[in-house]
Amino acid sequence: MMKALREAAAKLLQEKRAVLVIGYADRKGRPAVFVSKPEDCGRLVYDSSCRQNLAAYLGKPELRARLPVAVVAPPAVLRSLVVLTAESQIPAGQVLALAVDHDAFLGVFDAAGAAELLRSKFPDLGPEKALLERVAELSKKSAAERAAFWAEEFAKCTRCYACRAACPGCYCSRCIVEKNAPQWVSTAALGHGNYTWNVMRAFHQSGRCTLCGACEAACPQGLPLMVLNAVLDREALAEFDARPGYDPEGKPVIGSWSAEDDHSYMR
Amino acid sequence: MKTIAIDRLPDLAQALSKAGYRVVAPVDEGGVVRLREWTKGLALALDAVPVNSVKDVLFPRSEVVARFALEESGGFTPAPLERSAPKTVVLCARPCDAAALSALDAVFNWDYRDGSYNARRAATTVVSLACFKADEHCFCTSVNGAPDGTAGADALLRPADGGKKLVFEALSDKGRQLEAMVSDGQAVPDAPAALKRRFDSAAVGRWLASNFESPFWKEAALACLGCGACAYACPVCHCFDLQDESDKKECRRLRNWDSCGFGLFTLHASGHNPRPDQSARWRQRVTHKFSIYPQKFKTFACTGCGRCARLCQAGMAIAETCERIEALGR
Repeated sequence: MMKALREAAAKLLQEKRAVLVIGYADRKGRPAVFVSKPEDCGRLVYDSSCRQNLAAYLGKPELRARLPVAVVAPPAVLRSLVVLTAESQIPAGQVLALAVDHDAFLGVFDAAGAAELLRSKFPDLGPEKALLERVAELSKKSAAERAAFWAEEFAKCTRCYACRAACPGCYCSRCIVEKNAPQWVSTAALGHGNYTWNVMRAFHQSGRCTLCGACEAACPQGLPLMVLNAVLDREALAEFDARPGYDPEGKPVIGSWSAEDDHSYMR
Repeated sequence: MKTIAIDRLPDLAQALSKAGYRVVAPVDEGGVVRLREWTKGLALALDAVPVNSVKDVLFPRSEVVARFALEESGGFTPAPLERSAPKTVVLCARPCDAAALSALDAVFNWDYRDGSYNARRAATTVVSLACFKADEHCFCTSVNGAPDGTAGADALLRPADGGKKLVFEALSDKGRQLEAMVSDGQAVPDAPAALKRRFDSAAVGRWLASNFESPFWKEAALACLGCGACAYACPVCHCFDLQDESDKKECRRLRNWDSCGFGLFTLHASGHNPRPDQSARWRQRVTHKFSIYPQKFKTFACTGCGRCARLCQAGMAIAETCERIEALGR
């Protein structure tokens, strides 16, 4: 599998279909590695310990200046690439996916191809069992207990915004948490400001999150951010049939409006 | 000789608590070891370097530094500010945490004597625990530190008798005030963790001073996603942002941690940003720690604790950058 991935990456660089390959490095922690020479593709690797969502780098100006790129992409990252395409964040034809899954290299795809691959081979990607169990565990608590649980968790947040940086969906050039005219969210890494920040971050991902887990993995404080994401994923699916990352032309729930939407809450 | 059995540490914490100290100690909270206020019943987690450092005790992540009462007429009057500086013992800090204190003292007393910081510093006693093991991210020996270093600490707990006991060594008047709470005994100190020096920090500083425009930075910072995790976990990083937040009655001036890793950190109101990309920001981080700071304060702004690399998901490791820089300078 590794051989096929490395050969495909080298071929893309040789044929100039990509000037840069963003992949996982063959070293502990599997951090990102950036390969621009075909002979360096031996540094690329993929296994289950790869935690970053490399699509997050597509929002970084230095890398956007080096298009076209190819990104090593397990299914959740493929979905992110499709979401970014649907949200017009990827210049057409400038990003290719080197699709991988567990121990298989699945080929080179553009956004449309990636969506097709996902629909045929991974049609029902959702929260993993362990995550659903965490959600179920929390759901057993009363509203007051849940509020206390989140208050305790959010109190640990230092507002380093590692969750935001790790997420491909967080690409705003100026995040609302940094706007101060007017100031929507308290900047203090305390109490209600932390609560607002964390809930708002999750809400902005509803119907867009691909459940890759990069935000939670990046949180130095170990906040259970994926529980928030999973609940919002469930709600967006139930209410709006949101299946982010399967249609490069699909409109994101949070960025669209329909007359058929339920408006009964407006009184 | 003063000794304590390692499993009696909670008793020492309790004795300190009874003596009127707030005790801050490493506690495992769901897999994350964090320095936090110790309360009776909590076990001390000694195996991992905590995710936060002693910095949090002296320079909290958010602090109100001024208050103003707002009047309906549009005017305001400064309101009194309560400063909180409780008598505190940090129990089982790391030598790399204590070593950071001289760097923090220098900057918080440089052109302005910072009242909040100095009040807390005066009220805080730091008891370090010598490291009996080091992981692949530790590099204190590359920045003039040691796994059993005493710099900045008021007392040192040194593992002894094969990790069963700790020898208490008072290093300052504050440390000596705690001696009475530890009993006399005998123990043979263990060898501290062996940690090979990874790079020559002085050589790194020399290269940095004359390679501001090196193409090295463009490649070195490609993986950095520009969050503040490394700066916030760092025992020395001390940059802050001032923000005024108000409701109808009151305005609070907040001092929040800030990070040179954020693009917003140097963004001018005009839209110009003198550090326009992540390579300029990573260069700043490394240069400040290993060149600017030593020139100004005669100490590195890095103690080799390795927290930044340990938690960075993107694999940015400052020791590795320094190793590469040392190689470039040869």
